[in-house]
Amino acid sequence: MFYESILPDSLAGDAPEVAEPLMENDAFAGFYERSARSLWAYLARVSGDAALADDLMQESYLRFLCLRQPVALFAEGEVAARRYLFRIATNLLRDHWRRPRPASIEEIPEEFFAADAGTAQSDSQEILGPALARMRPRERQLLWLAYAEGYTHREIAAVTGLASVSIRLLLFRARRKIAGLIREQAAKPRRKS
Amino acid sequence: MMMNRCAHEKELAEALARGNWPAACAPELRAHVDACRNCADLALVTEAFQRARAETVSAARIGPAGALWWRAQLRRRNAAVERIGKPVQAALVFALAVNLLVLVGLLATQARQGLAWLTCIEGLPRMSSLHLERVLPATLFTSGWSLLVLIPALAALALLSGVAIYLASESK
Repeated sequence: MFYESILPDSLAGDAPEVAEPLMENDAFAGFYERSARSLWAYLARVSGDAALADDLMQESYLRFLCLRQPVALFAEGEVAARRYLFRIATNLLRDHWRRPRPASIEEIPEEFFAADAGTAQSDSQEILGPALARMRPRERQLLWLAYAEGYTHREIAAVTGLASVSIRLLLFRARRKIAGLIREQAAKPRRKS
Repeated sequence: MMMNRCAHEKELAEALARGNWPAACAPELRAHVDACRNCADLALVTEAFQRARAETVSAARIGPAGALWWRAQLRRRNAAVERIGKPVQAALVFALAVNLLVLVGLLATQARQGLAWLTCIEGLPRMSSLHLERVLPATLFTSGWSLLVLIPALAALALLSGVAIYLASESK
């Protein structure tokens, strides 16, 4: 079903750019199934907040679907559409970090405390989680896109808006830093036992 | 910090991407990784992130695609309605501005003429009977701005302004 059936004819007729068809529901459902989990993982790991990742993921897809030319973008290939989706999510994360932080402890989501509650955590959460938390947001983004998503430097530049030439150096520094933190984190349980 | 690119980095990155590291790699490459700090970092970080990705992706709880699609439809529809409403709003503001200008112009003209026609109101209490020809001032048909034109014009302006203000507030 198209939105023209919801909109009065006069309204749809007066706005040619709106009359352009949206991505088909089925096509979107397939794309969503294939991309949503990795987008959520990116948002959750980079932000460190599952609830925020839920919100930002929904907003990313809404903005993606509300693009003027979503069909044309999708026609370029799913890889391009996926990259654009990550770009939207990255911008949303940046906007979130730019907003003032909650001042009151009541405003901090409960998940924030639950993550440190000492419940059964996987190795990657135990080791990579604290290491990522000590990295800067931009470094977390770069590392995740490069080593979890396997994006090239050029693709990372397209997603983050950074210059392609600076990605290599930034990534090298971030990798060296997190490698040290991972080793440090991995050594901690041995010291305890 | 010096950035020295190791010659084996590309080979290692490919092995990591294909999932060949470390079991399906040549012993020379494994020996090199043990000795090279860059390659050791690359292997350590890539493995950690790939594990974390696999775990996080499997733990992700994603909502239904249909709900998102419908929300996007609604958002597009609202944006379309807003876009269409903009010219209407602009026309309303323009109409209001023109009305105000005409009103100010009329008032200015009347003030310049001394508002001679208002003198008829002063004579009203002295009249024994209300005849139309007595109520209307003598200057009515001689002055440049006729009262017969002025009063309906003011009434129309007031009406139009009221409608414009009402519609503008309604759209907000």
